[in-house]
Amino acid sequence: MNAEDFYWYWLNNIEGIGRRTICRLLERFLTPEEIYHAGEREITDVLQHKKMVTAFVRSKEEKKIIDGLQALQERKVTFIHPDSVQYPERLRTIPDMPYGLYLKGTLPNQQQKAVAIIGARSCTRYGKEMARFFGKELAKQGVAIISGLARGIDGMAHEGALEAEGYTLGVLGSGIDQVYPFENQSLFLRMEQVGGILSESNIGVPPTAGLFPQRNRLIAGCADGILVVEAMEKSGTFITVDQGLDQGKDIFALPGRIIDPKCAGCNRLIKLGAHMVTEVDDILEILKIERKNPPEKSQIERSKEKIEKLSLAPLEKMVYSCLQIEPIYLDDIISELRIAPQEVCMALNKLVLRGVVTETARNYYAIKL
Amino acid sequence: MYSKILSGTLHGVEGRLITVEADVSDGLPVFNMVGFLASEVREASERVRTALKNSGYLLPPKRVTVNLSPADVRKEGSVFDLPISIALLAAYGYLPSESLKDILLIGELSLNGDILGVRGVLPIVDYARKQNIKTLILPYDNRKEASVIPGMEIYGAKSLKQVVDHFLCNHMMEAEKMSEDKEDNCSFSMDFSDVKGQKILKRATEIAVSGMHNILYLGPPGAGKSMIAKRIPTIMPSLSYEESIEITKIYSVNGMLDPEEGLIKRRPFRMPHHSITAQALIGGGKVPKPGEISLAHHGVLFLDEFLEFQKNIIEMMRQPLEDGKITISRLQGSYTFPCEFMLVAAMNPCPCGYYPDLSRCHCTRPQIERYLKKISEPMLDRMDMNVSVHKMKYDELYGDHKEESSLKVKERVLAAQAVQKKRLAPFGIRFNSQIPSNLLEEVCYLGSEERNLRKEIFENYQLSARGSAKVLKVARTIADLDHSEPVKCNHIWEALTYRMSDFYQGGGVE
Repeated sequence: MNAEDFYWYWLNNIEGIGRRTICRLLERFLTPEEIYHAGEREITDVLQHKKMVTAFVRSKEEKKIIDGLQALQERKVTFIHPDSVQYPERLRTIPDMPYGLYLKGTLPNQQQKAVAIIGARSCTRYGKEMARFFGKELAKQGVAIISGLARGIDGMAHEGALEAEGYTLGVLGSGIDQVYPFENQSLFLRMEQVGGILSESNIGVPPTAGLFPQRNRLIAGCADGILVVEAMEKSGTFITVDQGLDQGKDIFALPGRIIDPKCAGCNRLIKLGAHMVTEVDDILEILKIERKNPPEKSQIERSKEKIEKLSLAPLEKMVYSCLQIEPIYLDDIISELRIAPQEVCMALNKLVLRGVVTETARNYYAIKL
Repeated sequence: MYSKILSGTLHGVEGRLITVEADVSDGLPVFNMVGFLASEVREASERVRTALKNSGYLLPPKRVTVNLSPADVRKEGSVFDLPISIALLAAYGYLPSESLKDILLIGELSLNGDILGVRGVLPIVDYARKQNIKTLILPYDNRKEASVIPGMEIYGAKSLKQVVDHFLCNHMMEAEKMSEDKEDNCSFSMDFSDVKGQKILKRATEIAVSGMHNILYLGPPGAGKSMIAKRIPTIMPSLSYEESIEITKIYSVNGMLDPEEGLIKRRPFRMPHHSITAQALIGGGKVPKPGEISLAHHGVLFLDEFLEFQKNIIEMMRQPLEDGKITISRLQGSYTFPCEFMLVAAMNPCPCGYYPDLSRCHCTRPQIERYLKKISEPMLDRMDMNVSVHKMKYDELYGDHKEESSLKVKERVLAAQAVQKKRLAPFGIRFNSQIPSNLLEEVCYLGSEERNLRKEIFENYQLSARGSAKVLKVARTIADLDHSEPVKCNHIWEALTYRMSDFYQGGGVE
């Protein structure tokens, strides 16, 4: 622990003093050390509010500050501030830059291109599969995958990157010891090992709604481009997109059916000028990333090939052709094919066991990609 | 003078004989009743005296002793009014004592001498038959119920005077004719063909009924879970005479018989509300009476909104589900009621009810799993099948496809059950759902191909031993419906559709 860490940690953890105030203080005193040693009268000039001044004076408890830093160390959390070597250059350029970051794992390589893959928490199976697909394929090309470790699209993008054994960074609104949502717990653990989890909040800060827009600004800040996989007309995703636009990032979006409300957000983005993405190369081209390996066949083509290789019986083929990426209820398949239920059940279960179909909920079936 | 006459009482759903003795002697005028009596039996003395007076029989003041024997059986209920009054009349010399021999009387008296209906007549009549007592006089309201037992001489009496006249041979009553089989008695107002579409649900239900497998329906509100459940009795085989008697006895004990209807011919369908108490579901009370599980004997117990039932009450059903009977112990003894029923449960797939319809359901994965975990594992073990129900589309609802009638389905069920009965008879069971795991191999006749498939499924679906046994049991029933003696691969494949194994995961991976 050095003196800089001490002063920056202190400055970032004064109750009631946020980024904007820190910015004002830094304009006046230049370094956190100067601020720490500044006289009360000078501080009052900048802070103006009496409450803030009291909090400011009270916060100068050396022991508490050192304890805080030690607690971080014990939990293997790195504290990063603008004077750290590790501080991501990309974040220096964004308006409203963070003055303190908490990190578990590692940050992406500064030269490595990074793409944020974002979208709604409540999403379709198609959205999830696409998030996973792009996460995986981009990671294979050496792109760092940035997302928010949330339910739905975010989590799947991370999963995809991990599948490709690429680097992925999760940016949280809450403290990084807060596993939220709980269903992503295993993802949290794996990402600590091979990727990184980053937050602007100190450990112990619970997830509250107000923290997420700030987090979104960091997601946009860490990335070179932002890919929106699935979003409704009104979605928190657009906070990230707006921040990205302010920061001059490229925006990409997957097109969707025009009648599907879950795609309305993406389609609107494309209408407003976002890059439309139908394959991985669309992103690579714009971000000037060179392909490491020749393009592979798309996932859909691959699963098609897999089906052909399996040499399915005619009935199984018929059943398979009824299925889509979105789950379909067993009865709908039966009434579409007009075949006895037992035959359809048999064919479906065979397909499931062969790994080309998945049962997403009891008696609901979908194509496995 | 001394006289005695026979009467009966209930012990659970079985009858017992009681001898009513009366003695009239000189001495201080008292009316003494002895024999381990409940207060309602003790009160009979007032009813009997007044009813006799109002029927025109004067009882001179004498020392009267009435004994109900055997003395170690507690006597309850109001069935003793009639036998006591007749025994008294005989003891006073109004009736010849010999005429009372081998006649069993039961009935409650009102103060004006009318005979009122009582509950639990059938078990007493049935027991009397076993004891070789052929003649019974009982309340007019209970005559239909009693006359279902063949070879009995049943008299339905409306008043005390009528009975006395009968004994004096002044005016003999006419014996009840044995109630005839009325065909319309066992017809239903509902039919399977009322349910449109829902092919998989119907198929699963047919299989469940064929093997008497307990089944769990998962589906959003209004999808038709209750609708199909209510129609399950219509595809069950008609009741045999013995089954009818068993059911009628239970209903008789609970006083739930229609006076105009004799034997119960329809399979019972019980649908208790989820606010039910343990006593009402399992059976109980100070003098235990059968609960809903016994009222569903040989029929269907349908628990809608399965998760809304109190957890401890659901758990209480575990043991009776295994044994097919429930034994309730009280101070006065233990009572056993039969309860072989098919359990049909229905519940929503998630807290909001609409999963996996993502346009309406916003439940998260952990919420859904927490919701499903409300059913305990042991309870889940007793369910063999699990099927999703989905809201029907307009075309299915109002399309003009002909749906199969209950009669047709019933024929198939009947055939499948007959095969099972034959195969399982040496093991003392009747249905595939009752096959113990050590017998399963023996009755499934798996070939090598089927064994390989079982192994593959076992590993891929991460089945437990029990889960795998259940799939096989259901496959056995599917094979029976298919008229196949050995269980083939395609039967196992289909059985897999209804598996319980990954229930807590919502039956799927996502």
